[in-house]
Amino acid sequence: MTATHPEQDVQQYPAHFEPPHGSTWKLVFGPGLIRGAWMALLGFGLGTALVCLLRSWWGWDPVWNTEVVLVVGAMVFAPIFFLAGIGSFDYWLYYISGRPTVAEDHSGHGARSWRDYFRVNTDHKVIGIQYLVTTFVFFTVGGLMAMLFRAELAQPGLQFVDSQTFNGLVSVHATLMIFLFIIPAFAGLANFAVPLMLGAPDMAFPRLNALSFWLLPIAGTMFVASFLAPGGAFGAGWTGYAPLSEGQPLGQTFFNMGVQWAGASSIMTALNFLVTIITMRAPGMTFWRMPLLVWANFTTSLLVVLATPFIAGSQFFVMFDRIMHTSFFVPENGGYVLGYQHIFWFYSHPAVYIMMLPGFGIVSEVISSMSRKPIFGYRLMALSLLGILVLGFSVWAHHMFVAGMADWLRVPMMITTLLIAIPTGIKVFSWIATLWRGRIHLTTPMLFALGFVTMFVIGGLSGIYLGSVPIDIAASDTYFIVAHIHYVLFGGSVFTIYAGVYYWFPKMTGRMYSEKLGKWHFWLTFVSFNATFFPMHYVGLRGMPRRVFDYDEAFGDLNLFISIASFVLGASFVVFVYNMVTSWARGPIAEANPWHARTLEWQVSSPPPIFNFDEIPQVVGGPYEYGVPGAQHAILSPTKQAEAEEVHA
Amino acid sequence: MRKGIVQLVAIGVVIGIAVTLVAVLFQWLPTSNSEEFDRIQDIYWFATVMSIVIFSLVAAVVVFSVWKWRVQPDDDAEGPPIHGNTGLEIVWTAVPAILVIALGIVSAFVLSENGKASDNSLQVTAIGQQFAWKFQYPEYGDVESGELVLPVGKQAQFTMEAVDVLHSFWVPQFGQKMDAVPGIETHVYVTPKHVGEYAVVCAELCGLGHATMRAKARVVTQAEFDKWIEEQRA
Repeated sequence: MTATHPEQDVQQYPAHFEPPHGSTWKLVFGPGLIRGAWMALLGFGLGTALVCLLRSWWGWDPVWNTEVVLVVGAMVFAPIFFLAGIGSFDYWLYYISGRPTVAEDHSGHGARSWRDYFRVNTDHKVIGIQYLVTTFVFFTVGGLMAMLFRAELAQPGLQFVDSQTFNGLVSVHATLMIFLFIIPAFAGLANFAVPLMLGAPDMAFPRLNALSFWLLPIAGTMFVASFLAPGGAFGAGWTGYAPLSEGQPLGQTFFNMGVQWAGASSIMTALNFLVTIITMRAPGMTFWRMPLLVWANFTTSLLVVLATPFIAGSQFFVMFDRIMHTSFFVPENGGYVLGYQHIFWFYSHPAVYIMMLPGFGIVSEVISSMSRKPIFGYRLMALSLLGILVLGFSVWAHHMFVAGMADWLRVPMMITTLLIAIPTGIKVFSWIATLWRGRIHLTTPMLFALGFVTMFVIGGLSGIYLGSVPIDIAASDTYFIVAHIHYVLFGGSVFTIYAGVYYWFPKMTGRMYSEKLGKWHFWLTFVSFNATFFPMHYVGLRGMPRRVFDYDEAFGDLNLFISIASFVLGASFVVFVYNMVTSWARGPIAEANPWHARTLEWQVSSPPPIFNFDEIPQVVGGPYEYGVPGAQHAILSPTKQAEAEEVHA
Repeated sequence: MRKGIVQLVAIGVVIGIAVTLVAVLFQWLPTSNSEEFDRIQDIYWFATVMSIVIFSLVAAVVVFSVWKWRVQPDDDAEGPPIHGNTGLEIVWTAVPAILVIALGIVSAFVLSENGKASDNSLQVTAIGQQFAWKFQYPEYGDVESGELVLPVGKQAQFTMEAVDVLHSFWVPQFGQKMDAVPGIETHVYVTPKHVGEYAVVCAELCGLGHATMRAKARVVTQAEFDKWIEEQRA
């Protein structure tokens, strides 16, 4: 079958969007970043005026309250007006106001020039790339912050930054990595791959999809901008425990509100994935024929939809305590301090799986295609995802073994925590069984996938130590925790994001990355990652607490070593960026299916046509049927095939 | 294939020995100075043995498979269509389940043991406040001190209080840790085994001075403790 070339699709839709650089009027008042900028300012002005008017009307003194003005003007009105300015709401506003709309208007679809990546675009493939580029920008910012505080930690005592800046760097680093890198980077990869894998032309709600992307830069800007707030960035950790967070300077509000925007983005995307996966599967694509990446995003989306409102609640409560004088977490007024932690972790533990399950999906795709073998135990692989989903909601208080919560809760939470090792173990063993007797192609995505399997096992095993309450009592709040989360989130999630980016790079860009640079990137990352994070287990158990700028002199040498290793880790990222940028610009043209993969996204051209498939494919078998004679996953042109068969008959 | 299994086992043993050396050649845990930490260290070793076996197994299969079945980029052949093996899948569901449940049972016993109140005890109230610790000895009137002094061999029953934000009481060599929470009281027990000097470390981020929120902890003989209390009351 031959895929339609993008240009042909364009001609089918003459009502095509005209880029707004024709006239000055359009440039300023047409949807786009310029209208977004002035409307954001307008929104800020309106919000500020509203606050001051109401305060003076009700006789509040002083009329100007910076924190309230920031929350209402800068963090609610300005972002909404910005979104309206770039055109996120145009279609809906036309509809609401009774102006004519065209349901089949594809003007916002597809990318023909680099400009199309900087506007509201409804094409899931463009949105996927928008997500990935944005998240890697914030990954860079978060990584540079880590290198700054690693420089500070190279020696005991305070050298480069003051205490509030240090706490701010640590907090913003974690916040960016979690909310602006790992979670949305997975959403970006899935945005690109899932509709293609399902045989669908796009996501179920393309406009909602565009909106959920544009919420992200808003959240990221808030987190980074908190450094400009008087008193410095939020410094209560990414966990923002009350009551410390309630007494923090203004910067804390940026965290409280930024989380709302990032969370809303996650929830909208998750709903979109759920509806897409449930309703837009191609004919014949039963649940048991879906690739594991789709399964992984199905379970992740359920987690996101059910859990994310809890962190939104926890941050709203802190903000209400700060600016509305409520007392959710103020013990003097009957508030319940531990309540914050219960609500926060009721999201933030499932969030760990939100940050891991999509990676499990990516690795399943990579290991199967690079070993040219069916996934070992496909059904159990899918069911173990569901097992993690269910168990994941019953373990949150294992973050609170030393928090002073009700004693009786510890043992049940320990048991459920340890039980999660079972579905996770099933996945690890099934991956290595998939390798067994395969035809192994040791490409860059495969290296990252195998690096992930081994590193994730270390992170999982240190998780078993921490699951045991008595060991956790000794190791909690120390660098052992820092080591554990980085083995899970860097050795786990980041390695799988790298695997996914290399794996789908030819499909996304139509060009091939440099395999040689990819391998350099892997080995540099793998070695410096271990050199950075493995010694942290040691200093933690020996007595170094986390989130400190100063520490016992006995840990000086090891911390210097860790800091140097972390700079190498930072440098390894430069290799990746160089490879991506140069390969995207002038890498060799990629084949449609360089990995001989069986899933649907590889059966169309690289990059895929604007609407993915000429004809909705007919799915006839499982997605990983390597080595089975005559097995097919899907027929791409069912009508042509039927016509051909009729002629033969 | 038999030769292959021998090679796989050999790789696994080499990795296992290397990892075991890492586990035993470095002293990962501080020297315990409490009966509670002794018990915790026992579970730590249980978990370590389990981890060495599982890590060596996974790493060995990965290394062996890549070494044995790696092909050139232009190889177009496909692997054998193995879709699963129910027996194997039952084994790798059941064995980890047994291991983690065993660990859970041992941990629950230790937790209960470490939480048992002894008759031979001393009450200490630890109060966290940005950025210092205060220790009170309610059985001895209004004795209050900035350093923690404990008699050896006697169970110290701590009651934690926080004045402003969360703090966490931790002496690494005691192996016990507990947050001090505004509005509620929390408890933890420590039974020191021998005399020595340590640092009380705040383990929960509590603001600008968190890193420097430290106090001295001394474990002394009962006679020295009685003398110290007398001095404090005078």
